Order: sequence, then structure tokens, then C-alpha cells
Amino acid sequence: AMELPPSHFPAARAAAVAMGYLRYLRGGPGRGLQLRELRSARRQDIDDVGHKYYLELELEDVLDKDRTVNCTAEVLYPLGSQSSAPDVQLTVQGELRSTEEADKEFYTRIRSLEKELVAENIPDSHGNIPPELEPIHLLAWAASGYVIWQNSTENTKFHLAQVKHVKQVKRSDEDLQFDYVVLLHEMVSQEVLPWQVTLLWHPQRGARVSQCQGPAPGD
Amino acid sequence: MWLSLGIIFSLGILIPGKLSFKVRYDRDQVLHIVPETLPQVQHLQLLYSTLKLDLWKPLLPEDIRAGKDLHIRVPAPVVQDVKDSLDQHMISYRVLIPDVQKLVDQSMPRERSSHRQVSGGYDYTEYHPMEEIYQWMTQIQENNSELVTQHILGKTFENRPMYYLQISQPSNKTKKIIWMDCGIHAREWISPAFCQWFVKEILQNFKTDSKISRFLQNLDLYVLPVLNIDGYIYSWEKDRLWRKNRSPYENGTCYGTDLNRNFNSSWGSVGVSFDCSSDVYCGPAPESEPETKAVAEFIKSKKSDILCYLTIHSYGQLILTPYGSTTKPPSNNEELMQVAKEAAAALTGKYGTSYRVGSTATILYSNSGSSRDWAHTIGIPLTYTFELRDTGTHGFELPPNQIQPTCEETMLAVTTIIDYVDKKYFPNGAVLLTSSSLGLSLCMSIVLIWTVS
Repeated sequence: AMELPPSHFPAARAAAVAMGYLRYLRGGPGRGLQLRELRSARRQDIDDVGHKYYLELELEDVLDKDRTVNCTAEVLYPLGSQSSAPDVQLTVQGELRSTEEADKEFYTRIRSLEKELVAENIPDSHGNIPPELEPIHLLAWAASGYVIWQNSTENTKFHLAQVKHVKQVKRSDEDLQFDYVVLLHEMVSQEVLPWQVTLLWHPQRGARVSQCQGPAPGD
Repeated sequence: MWLSLGIIFSLGILIPGKLSFKVRYDRDQVLHIVPETLPQVQHLQLLYSTLKLDLWKPLLPEDIRAGKDLHIRVPAPVVQDVKDSLDQHMISYRVLIPDVQKLVDQSMPRERSSHRQVSGGYDYTEYHPMEEIYQWMTQIQENNSELVTQHILGKTFENRPMYYLQISQPSNKTKKIIWMDCGIHAREWISPAFCQWFVKEILQNFKTDSKISRFLQNLDLYVLPVLNIDGYIYSWEKDRLWRKNRSPYENGTCYGTDLNRNFNSSWGSVGVSFDCSSDVYCGPAPESEPETKAVAEFIKSKKSDILCYLTIHSYGQLILTPYGSTTKPPSNNEELMQVAKEAAAALTGKYGTSYRVGSTATILYSNSGSSRDWAHTIGIPLTYTFELRDTGTHGFELPPNQIQPTCEETMLAVTTIIDYVDKKYFPNGAVLLTSSSLGLSLCMSIVLIWTVS
């Protein structure tokens, strides 16, 4: 495996995939993980399989910026096929801040709404997010994290640009359901494209994407 | 007056503990309702409890009565739902306050000016629409006419004037030029905000800041606050995430060229699309766009005097050097990298924001037709692209509370570069002393000796 400069784009793109996966796996209404710094990167070309990146990441929680957590990740981009998602393995070193209280409070608040929550343009044009929508925004990070993980290649780098629309859908089971339209900015093509994602969330079970649809051709 | 007091009182009892300026009420509305029947009263009580609305009058839901005034604050996200619900139940309402935050801002005492940069009535910590930026340019020239002149570069596709500001200290010396443009991409709002901040800082501090006063003796600063004016306006009015200009193609079914792929540097070779619907459409030919042409013509005409070309973008926290179309380094790569690293270090020193430094092709991606590459190939030695905050958390929609810190740290990077140019091309001996500056330095020496002794 060869050492890669962390400031150059191949490592940076792999790190973005790892972050997408991590946000999907560990994100929630009370936790927003972002990359503080990419400490190191290596790449290994595996014959007939693909390109594997070994990364050391320093993470922080937007809600707890005073401390950082280290994480190692392996991102394997499969050869050739455009339809296969990269394989990501992650190890977070140490404990992430517990969000049990915040999760419970959010869950109760949303469950007790008589009318289903609807919101749009998070953040707004000026970058503002009303505080009561911050948990919805962080869940959008989890939802878009899934999309980013599933759709990335070595030639793309995605970020969530904006939540265009979100609608809560009440369910008869215990999950919360949010139907999102998220706008993803892709750095190489510079396109901003809408994705529809249905996210289920539960305080103990965490986040799951149940449905996901990309932009229609010609969008 | 009573309404304002009522607002402050109501918000005051709402906010637990000490008054917190973190709670906001943007686009929250206060509705005035007079319920007429008991079922209407009950429905209002239900709305109150399920949506956790904020009763201003009466204070308690059990005091809501038919025939009695009701004032209720509705948080922005549910305003429409509440109104729909009221309509459904035939409850008439009037909007008493359309935006609570606006009223709060007006009622609260102004924060000390060291916190907010409101200079001469212009708030540099807010994003401004193009109308206001045009007015700002006029004001800046009027208020600083000894130093600033406004000039027209050309017109945009939609026929709007492209103005740049020239900051030039009167002198009989011929000066060299530092060029900086902002807003080549419409959605990168922090970029024009920085150009405006930069101008303000220079004008506020040129007398007292020794670095600035030194380089202004030798260098003129040319600042183009918004290059892609049509696109910028479009991002305010129609599509916040628009990037390109607004030239129509294919019979008006397809709009916009990426101006930063439209310059004549390896045009159309890599990192572009020939599809007009793409966000990196390079246009039908190099310099096909009026905006590109206006900038290119001007820079060509002054090229022997321009020592440094800076172009400001967002986001990514990067200082990028040539080239984008090849990884082959430019002839003065060592110098470019050295100065960029110093600039990035100065920036990081302010708030710890880390920037990456390197060529576009190694740090970001391949591209061709960029203004920065073109400026370097025609012979301007020091050319940089800045990508300002952040790294993707907010992306293009950087919140206004980050405008000031972003501008402050970036200012340090830019002045480091200008300082380097000044010291390189005008080493100490070459400063021409006019009689006034000689007199001044004599006075200064006397004062200095007097203070030191």
C-alpha cells in the first residue's frame, strides 16, 4: 500500500465516503459527526477487486466541538462496475458522547405532534437553521450519508448542500418516518442534484433508509 | 411602544435563566384571532397544546374565551399548517407580526460596534443583494474619494454594469497592481462578502496600519466585488444553488456558462462539459461570455502592471495554485507554494481554521479554462484561487455569524500575499520620497526619539 498525501483529492474523496457511512451508522437527531482532519491515508490496488484506501480520521461532533474522537476506516471502491457501492469498514476509537436524553426528548416531541411535521429549506438561503429544526437537519445528515456512501466513486465527492423538503409520516409501529428531499452537491461535476430519501429512526434502533431515489435523467 | 414592551416581556419570561441571544424567532408570526364559538375556542386550545404554540394573550389556554382577543406566536415551520387549520375551522385571523425576529432586532439595544461590523450604516456581517452592493460601491467612492474610484469593466449578459473599485493612494509614482475578483460563481455568497470586507478594512486602516500604508505607496488595489452579477441575482431570487451566468442556449431551453471554465487557458480540454445543462459547461468558445470578455480584456490591457491575480470562491478552505489542466508545475511553483503556505499559516493563526495548499489538479480536480490559470499563462506571476469556509458542513450556505471570522482570517492571508509582492518588487530603497512623506517621516522620527528617551 502506498502512502497518500492527505491534502490531495484521492484521499479526501475516500474520507468523504467514510464520513457518509459513519453519519448513516452513528448519526441521529442529537449527533452530527464531521471530519476535523484527515491524519493519514494509504492506498492499495487489489488485482481484480478494486482500490482500497486506509484512512486515519479525526472526528468531532458539531454539538460537542471541544473534543475529538479518532477513527480508522477502510474504503474499498470495487473495480469497474458503476452500480456497486464502496465497501466501508470503520472503527471508532473510544466513546461517542451519549445522546440518550436528547434522543428520548426528540422522539417524544415528534410522537406527540398532532399534525405531521413539514419543513423546507434547511438551512435557509442565508445559512440559518431554526434551533427546533436542528435535529431534523442532523437526521438529514444521516439520510444523505447513506446516499453518499452508496453512490460515491473515486471520481466523485458529495456533500449535503441543503434539505429542500422534509415531511414526517406517522406510522403505526414505533419508528419515526421522515421523507426527505435532499440536495447533494457533487464537487467534481459541480452539480447539485435532488435525492428523495425515506428515513426511519428509533431511539434504540437508530437510523435506517427504507427508500431512496436519485434524480430522474435530465434533472 | 406597548407592543414592543409586550414583546420583550413575553420573550423575556419565555427565555429561561439569563437572556440568551441564541434563541431566534425568524419568520415566526403572531396571529390575532377572535374566536366566536366554543368549538372554535376548543380547537384553538388543541392547536396550542399539540403544537406547543406560544400564547401572548391571554397567558393561559384556559383563559381563551369566545369574543376575547387572542394573540398567539406561531413558529415559522408550522405557520402554514396553523393557518390551514384555522381556515378549515372557519376561524378568521389577522397577522399581527409577520416576522418576530425583525421586531426583536429593532427593539433590542444595538450591540457594541466591536461585536458587529456596521460601518457607516452598512452591515458587513450580513449578505447583501446586488442592489445594495451597487449602492455600497457608490457610497464607498463618495466617502473615500481621495482614495477610491469606481470604474466600469463591461456589461453582463442581462446588460448590467460590471463595476470594479480602484484603491489608489495619490502619488506621482507609477504603481503596480493587485487584482482581486469575487463572485464568479453565483452561489458562493461568502466571496462577495469578503471583497466588501476587504475594501472596508483597507479604507478603515490605511492610515494606522503600517503594512497597509506601506504597500499602498507602491501598489494599487483593484477589487471586483461581484463578477457574475446576473448569476448572483438569480441565486437570490430564483435558485440559491445556481453557479453559472445566465446566457441562454438552445433557444432558451438551457442557461448558463461556467465562467470559470470559459477563459482561454487550455479551454475545453479537461474537467468541463459541452452540454449547456451541465454546471461546468465551458461555453461555445473561450471568452464567449460578456463577463469573461470584460475581465479578460481589462486584465490584458493592464497585464504588464499586474503583479498578482486573486480570485475568491467557496467552499473548501483551500489556497490553490496553477494549474488545473495539468499536474506539471508552473515555472515559479516554489515561490507560489512558499507564499501560499505563509498565507495559510497567517490565516490559521487567527481562529485555527486549517487550509490546504497546492495546485488545483492535485488538491481538487482537473479543470480547464479557469481565470486563475489564464492569468498565470499571460504572465501574471502570482495567481491564486481561494476557496473560503467551510469544508462541507454548511457548504455554500455559510451562516452569517461566520462572515466576520471568515473575513478576518482571510484578510490576514491576502495581506500576507500583498505584503510579499510589495517587499519583493519594492525593496526598501526603491520607495520614492515625496516632500510630504519626507516631512512625515521626520516628524515620526522626532516623536519616536521623544517617546523612547
